[in-house]
Amino acid sequence: MNRAIIVDGLVKNFEITEKEPGLTGAIKSLVSPKKKEVHALRGVSFTIQPGELVGFIGPNGAGKTTTLKTLSGLLYPTSGFVEVLEFDPWERKPEFLKQISLVMGQKNQLWWDLPAIETFELNKAIYEIPTHVYQENLKELVTLLEIEKLLETPVRKLSLGQRMRMELTAALLHKPKVLFLDEPTIGLDLVAQQKMRDFIYDYNSKYGATILLTSHNMDDLVDLARRVIVINEGRILFDGALEELVTKYAKEKIIKATLSKEEGIADIEKIGKVKKLAFPQVILSVPRAACAVAASELLQNFPVDDLTIEEIPIEDVIRKAFKSGLSK
Amino acid sequence: MRKYWSIFKISFEQEFAYRLNFILWRVRNVFQILLTYFLWSTVFTGPGTQIFGYDRAKMLTYIFGIMIVRALVFSARAMDVSRDIAHGDLSNYLLKPISYFKYWFTRDISSKALNLIFAVVEFGILFVILRPPFFFQGSAIALVAFMASIILAILIYFFLLFLISSIPFWAPEIGWGSHFLVTVVIIEAFSGALFPINILPQGLQSLVMATPFPYLIYFPVEVYLGNIHGSALTGGLMVAAAWTGILWFGLNFIWQKGLKVYQAIGR
Repeated sequence: MNRAIIVDGLVKNFEITEKEPGLTGAIKSLVSPKKKEVHALRGVSFTIQPGELVGFIGPNGAGKTTTLKTLSGLLYPTSGFVEVLEFDPWERKPEFLKQISLVMGQKNQLWWDLPAIETFELNKAIYEIPTHVYQENLKELVTLLEIEKLLETPVRKLSLGQRMRMELTAALLHKPKVLFLDEPTIGLDLVAQQKMRDFIYDYNSKYGATILLTSHNMDDLVDLARRVIVINEGRILFDGALEELVTKYAKEKIIKATLSKEEGIADIEKIGKVKKLAFPQVILSVPRAACAVAASELLQNFPVDDLTIEEIPIEDVIRKAFKSGLSK
Repeated sequence: MRKYWSIFKISFEQEFAYRLNFILWRVRNVFQILLTYFLWSTVFTGPGTQIFGYDRAKMLTYIFGIMIVRALVFSARAMDVSRDIAHGDLSNYLLKPISYFKYWFTRDISSKALNLIFAVVEFGILFVILRPPFFFQGSAIALVAFMASIILAILIYFFLLFLISSIPFWAPEIGWGSHFLVTVVIIEAFSGALFPINILPQGLQSLVMATPFPYLIYFPVEVYLGNIHGSALTGGLMVAAAWTGILWFGLNFIWQKGLKVYQAIGR
């Protein structure tokens, strides 16, 4: 098997009932419901190798979650071809389900009123995990995610971050080969986010698991994903290395300089587009190709104390990309 | 099989997480029984009164029979299915190598086991206090037929509940209303849980007997009482079995359609 996931021409339409605001709207929709077809995915194609860690980027409603849900067999594709680990996800064969896991940031599988360990024991039975394997996996996850002290606490008494780690444990006890993560760091504080990222990275490299994750958090993608798929309005806009996305769509670089004297500072705009000028700091945006020339000009003609050349922040690249509707 | 045993255990524990809730539900059941008991007790105050062919002893046995059969048939958890569908929690189960039907059936069985334990205790207490004339069935055939009718009743109720709970696939907002209509109004009235079906006029009676509802309470209780035997018994069991089959096929058909339009919402 040299392809973990194959998606070809995937289309998914939803039918939704529209409702005008207010009571009259409610009555109107009851009498003559206005149906509207939503095109969540309009022909998505990609393949993923075993062991790859791929990030999905896109604004809300772009189709990221719909893709993950179709890949894990929850949604029935309107048309197109989907194969995960050589299974058709929609058939939901036990052998398939035992090898995958979908973790959604805001959906929980834990039994709310019982300690998390009860859910883990239940999953052990459901996934038919042998006792020694279960014990080993549980011990490892519990140590990695630092939750040993919380196992006996009823789930409803845990904080969001603690609960997310429990969710992840429950989802990984059966050591899935393919892992779908939908917004794994949503709502977590910075420390918890970092822990979650470290864990995902380790899980991927240690077990060679194929991981597909969606996130709005650029740190997640920069840290984890070497390959990103940018999706907007149900179509793939970009599929490739993260750096490639930057070099391809960020036509400019950023020069940050600290000046020692204020005089003649107005001339600085001859070198490049001034993004910020607040003495002693200047931020310039210059074309990628002219970057070296601009930097040396700056050093020669101005009293520079310090100078750095940076890429445009990934958030800006992506924001710009969506705004201009970047094409392949 | 082991996985469903685990579900049985965790479901049992879950019921205990809401002890007060459970106790209140049992109290409600006792009140319901008392209310029906005193209602019919008053109707039969005059000595030798016979109404619709029931004398006091038979009617009161019917009432007590309902209590046990109710605990067995009507204690179910599967109404939560509609919420699972409407809120997208169904996704959690679809992702796992388990059968969703068997999952809920197991949870139902666990709920029934717990309720039966309590119903037997309540039965004992009420029996001692009220000392009703009670009829103990001695015939082995009647008891076996009673067991069979109970199993069919449990299945019919489970499938009915599941079918009604499937409506949110197409109309996510409708869940509660349809449950109220079907489980509270129709099932209570036509299952025999309030009154024996044979007090209805003949025409209406035959009509009701053709629906699956009387096979939930009325039929098993009457079988226990020995009021239904011979060809009426086999015929009744066959109708109940036929309904079980029809509902099972219907449910599978509806679910195959439903899962295709399932939107797995909630993100």
